[in-house]
This record gives sequence, structure tokens and C-alpha cells, in this order.
Amino acid sequence: MDYDALAAELRTIRENVAGVTDTVIAASDGIPILTDVAKNVEPSHISALAAADLGIARQAAEVVGLGALRQTVVFGSEGYMAVYSISRTALMVVLGDKGLNLGRLLHESRPSIERIGSIMTP
Amino acid sequence: MTQCHEDRVTGALSVTGNAGGLFHLRDGAVIAVESAGSPGVETLLLSSGGISAEDWDAALVESVGTGSLQAALVARGSIGLAEVEAVAVAALQDGAFAVAAGDVQECVVVSDSADVPLLPVTGGVAPALLLAETAGRLDAIASLPVPLSPYRDRVVPGRATKSMSGERREIVAHATGRRSARDIAFATGRSLHSVTVEISRMLGEELLEIAPPATAFSFSHWGLPSLRPRAPGQSSGKEMDWTTTPWPPNCGRSERTSPE
Repeated sequence: MDYDALAAELRTIRENVAGVTDTVIAASDGIPILTDVAKNVEPSHISALAAADLGIARQAAEVVGLGALRQTVVFGSEGYMAVYSISRTALMVVLGDKGLNLGRLLHESRPSIERIGSIMTP
Repeated sequence: MTQCHEDRVTGALSVTGNAGGLFHLRDGAVIAVESAGSPGVETLLLSSGGISAEDWDAALVESVGTGSLQAALVARGSIGLAEVEAVAVAALQDGAFAVAAGDVQECVVVSDSADVPLLPVTGGVAPALLLAETAGRLDAIASLPVPLSPYRDRVVPGRATKSMSGERREIVAHATGRRSARDIAFATGRSLHSVTVEISRMLGEELLEIAPPATAFSFSHWGLPSLRPRAPGQSSGKEMDWTTTPWPPNCGRSERTSPE
């Protein structure tokens, strides 16, 4: 796997969207693949939670008839956790502080997810 | 924005970019600025100690019916009208600075914006005044002894050791190397402009240093070779015990190869 190319994508997201604090790419079953996180964030915990979160959101979208799942976002009083589906086998987590502009994150992350998906597809 | 003033626009001027922002306008005057680059009125009010989080939440609930958060806050008695107004003006000016200090890609006037700011400045600020004030702040940042980008430069504690004010100690405590001036402004609940100026001074006094790229971005990978499901027989029996369905897929080795 081309970790340098993946790292460049994660770096772009953090540099281009004010408020992004941490990023993680993980397998859909919650195993971390590549992480850029602060010391207080445990990558394996975040990856496992994100996998569960995405699974529930995907099921909800399917049951309610919302179409294909794009992202699911946890809103906290101090920040956000956005989880994106990269493919059937991988996901991306973006953590942000309370100033994060979610609209801009969604806009910026769409092309990144496309590219990350191609990098991860051998 | 000057054109909006002349046309007495009521609505919003949306600035796309990083950090970008939204200028709320009433009759051509700016009544609030929201930006992802600067802490908003809520953060500034709560961190100043003028109001508790409980009072803020309660006032927010009350304001849904009455339509005025300002009145709901003042009615709770813990803060005066003048103070709320002063913080709203400070947040507005800091928001304009945050937008101007970042990258600007596009400006669009949304005249029928339904997005109403939480705490508008009564009467608003004339765009000409705001532009002059913002230009002054940008000039001040550009002429600092150590120029600093509030979004790109991330800082770590420096070599110098000397007694510092509480404000400076707080900045040092949040200087993990991953945080920019903007991130520290949010973490401490202080305005972007004041934190940027203070960090620049502290860089000059070697109380802080610009973080090297390896600290600003700390990538580590777990050595996962591939996302392809492994062939039958490659999986360990233990893994097969906890998943009996083909979903989620088996994703290969899970041991870490990088230091934690």
C-alpha cells in the first residue's frame, strides 16, 4: 500500500480545512491503516468506534431509504467526528474542533475520498 | 461589501476559502461575522467567565420562543447588555480578520439568507469601518517581529524558560506542535487576533518555536498489506470464531509495525 500517497491526502485535508484536528484511515472492520492523531487520541479505539458508527449509519440509510451512505457525523459541544465510507472495505475518520466548518469539510473531502479509494485499490 | 452597503443588502456575504466565513448584513451594515478561523461569540462569552454554560444553554432554549438571545441572556441577570454587545463586536471584528488572513476563493451575496446570527450587533458596523479595522490588523500582523501565519504555522514550546503570565502559560500548554494559532485560539477561547500577536511575540522571545513538519503531522501505519480478503485457510481459527458472516471482510494482518 502506498502510505506516502495516503499521508499526502490526509495532510491536504488537515491543511485545507480549518478545525480538522485528527485523521484516520481504517479498514471497515475497525483496524487502523494510517493515522495522524494527537497523543490523547487512541487510533485503535477511534477506528473501532468509527467502524461501528458507519455500520449503524449505513444500515439506517438503507432501512429508511436514504440511498447510499456518504458520511455520518457525531456533533459534540466541543467538536465533531465525521466518518466517511471510502469503499466497502475502508473508512476515513476526521475529528474536528467546535470551529470546524462541516460544509467545507464535506466539499473538500469528496475528491480526497475518491483519490484515497483509488490509491487503496491495487 | 461596499457594494452591499450601497445597495443596503439584508442577507449574507458568503466567503468560500480557508478559513472562509459568512458576513451577515442588515440594511448594508455588518451585524455579525462567522468564521471557522475565529472563536464565535459563544466561545468568547463562555471563556471570559461572563456567563456559565448552563445559563447560555438555558438562554438559548428561551430565545427559541422570544427570538432574541441577547434579551434572554441579559434577563438571566449574570451579564449586562453592554458586555454582550462588546463581545459581539469583538467576535465580529475577529471574524473579519480571520476571513481576511486566510485564503479567499469566492464571495457570493445571498440576499435571502434564512441563516440568522445568534447575537447580532445592534445597528451593525459600517463596512468601510470594518474594512479599515481589518486592514489595520493585517498590517499589524505583517509587521510583527516574527511574522506568523495563523493557519499554517504550528508551534511547540521553545528553549527559553522564564516566568510567564497565565495567558502565556495557557498558550504554551496548548502548543503541542499540531496546533496553529487558530487552533490555540479555539482551545483557549480567546480571539484569533490576540492569540496570533501573542504567539508571534513568544516566538521572538524563544518561548515558542515553529514545529517541524514531523511534529505537525505525525503519521503512523499499522503495516496492513492489503484490504483484499485473505484466501480460506490463511485466517486463524480465532478470527473465524467471532465472525461467521462474510461481513465485515477479513482485512489481513493486524499487528502494529510502527511505534505507538
